[in-house]
Amino acid sequence: MAAISAEGLVRGYGSIPVLQGLGMTVDEGSIYGLLGPSGCGKTTLLKVILGFLEPESGTMNVKGDIPGSDVGYSPQEIALYPDLSIAETMRFHGRLHGMKADRILSRQSWLIEFLDLPEPNRPVGKLSGGQKRRVSLAVALLHEPALLLLDEPTVGVDPELRARIWNHLQEIAANGTTIVITTHYIDEAGKANRVGLMRDGILLAEDTPKAVMDSQSTSSLEEAFLALCRREVKA
Amino acid sequence: MNFQRVYAIAARKFASLRRDKRMFGFIVIMPALQILLFGWAIGGTPTDLNVVVVDDGPAEQSAIFIGYIEGGDALLVSYSDSMDEANATVENGASWAVFHLLPDGTISVVLDNSNQQVTNTILLEVRDAMQEANGGQLPLDIADPIYGDRDPSFIDFLAPGIMTLVCFMFSTILTTMTFVGERHDGTLDRIFAAGTQPSEVLFGHLGAFSVILIGQVAVVIAIATLGFEIPINGSVMLLFTVCLLLGWAAMCLGLAISSKAKSEFQAMQLNMPLLFPALLLSGILWPVQALPGWLQPVAWALPTTWTAEACRSIMIRGWGLESTSVQLALLINTIFGVLMLAIASRTIRVRQS
Repeated sequence: MAAISAEGLVRGYGSIPVLQGLGMTVDEGSIYGLLGPSGCGKTTLLKVILGFLEPESGTMNVKGDIPGSDVGYSPQEIALYPDLSIAETMRFHGRLHGMKADRILSRQSWLIEFLDLPEPNRPVGKLSGGQKRRVSLAVALLHEPALLLLDEPTVGVDPELRARIWNHLQEIAANGTTIVITTHYIDEAGKANRVGLMRDGILLAEDTPKAVMDSQSTSSLEEAFLALCRREVKA
Repeated sequence: MNFQRVYAIAARKFASLRRDKRMFGFIVIMPALQILLFGWAIGGTPTDLNVVVVDDGPAEQSAIFIGYIEGGDALLVSYSDSMDEANATVENGASWAVFHLLPDGTISVVLDNSNQQVTNTILLEVRDAMQEANGGQLPLDIADPIYGDRDPSFIDFLAPGIMTLVCFMFSTILTTMTFVGERHDGTLDRIFAAGTQPSEVLFGHLGAFSVILIGQVAVVIAIATLGFEIPINGSVMLLFTVCLLLGWAAMCLGLAISSKAKSEFQAMQLNMPLLFPALLLSGILWPVQALPGWLQPVAWALPTTWTAEACRSIMIRGWGLESTSVQLALLINTIFGVLMLAIASRTIRVRQS
């Protein structure tokens, strides 16, 4: 069943076109890797999914109470208050989602352990770039939402932890969580159930990583993307 | 409206405000300092003004006149036998005025009229001394005033306005920076993704800022009354309420500015054209009635004008909630605040690229 389905999405900012007739389908309980260069419209697409931006034309159907507690959103920027400690950050976002204090605390200690975060009384502003990014991811995971929208969550995260994050995402996806993740690391998107290769506001391809590679007769997603781009330019 | 979310936002904001120690000192001490400076600098009566007396008058009358002006703080009196010599002291700036006491009992005053406040002080002193010298027999009787003191000081007129201005200015400045940055760096997006409504964000911030506002208003009223002995003839609670409501209206203005501004610099720039008219047009330094006719509607569009008027009514006239001027101030500030909140709410709802 589709958790997100979009058809013919058009949306720009003023006279600048961004999404130009984009269609996508994200199955419930799967990981969807959204790939593409910066400026191709990934973040705009996420904002349309979140209901922040109205499409100019086309449709966007998203399952659940969105925006609301059914979604966990981690923006591309850190987007956290630097003066709050990790614990205060968790408490703030937990309260926004109507979580009880003891549940916030138990989720917090699990997330600190899992994401290898420093002690909870450390101010977010004093953390390293990678640690901030992991706190940002922790905030999105905090209330165990049915839909996760993660905009570049693994930038500056070391490979070992990145692998652990992907393992966790695969685990919760198997339990029914739907995940849309944008990333620059094209190869890590190979672990997604489906990938969408985005360029200039449309999807050049949308399929399982294997099918995308097979269709271009390549052995990596990177090469497949390159081949698709070349074909697009010729056409 | 979800109150848990409003509370979450208020608690978050208050924690941030409290943590920034320097900022916290600034928002508590600055209004106090400002009202102190206003009290010291503006509205006092000038003292020790140099004047020269050339005494050719009837002995008895001159003695009373001189005795009177020597007895007050306003004038420093010296004497001369020659008008030429006396006038020369005015010409070279050594004295402000020459009083020539004439044989027929009249007085001729030669002034350096370059400073109106100084002239007013000198002429008031001359008038009183003349009255004294003539056995209190001026053909003019000013009865005890219905409102205000027999000897009104400028600071009594000024204080309600300055209190108004300080409450307005600091509340606006305090809130101007609130959303600058947050709107564009995804922080607000994340909060909205949780289903938070713009109104919840705004009320949460107002709640946190209100703790500071209550302190600021209390400090301002306390300094005015205890520090400068400015009388409050009406209800202190009512005065507090009026100032508080203005503070809220000003915070809503600040939030609206901060939702519109794209940078801190822009927020400050947007502040200036609002604060300056509030200072000049609200009847705080000079009566609104003295403004050119076309400018008067602008003055009455400012909530500070109504608030200053209401504060004067409460402090000097001792009026209460039954007075139209107080009711209007409460009403106008409420309308202004709600309008600003609506603007802020609309603006932060619109997402940026």
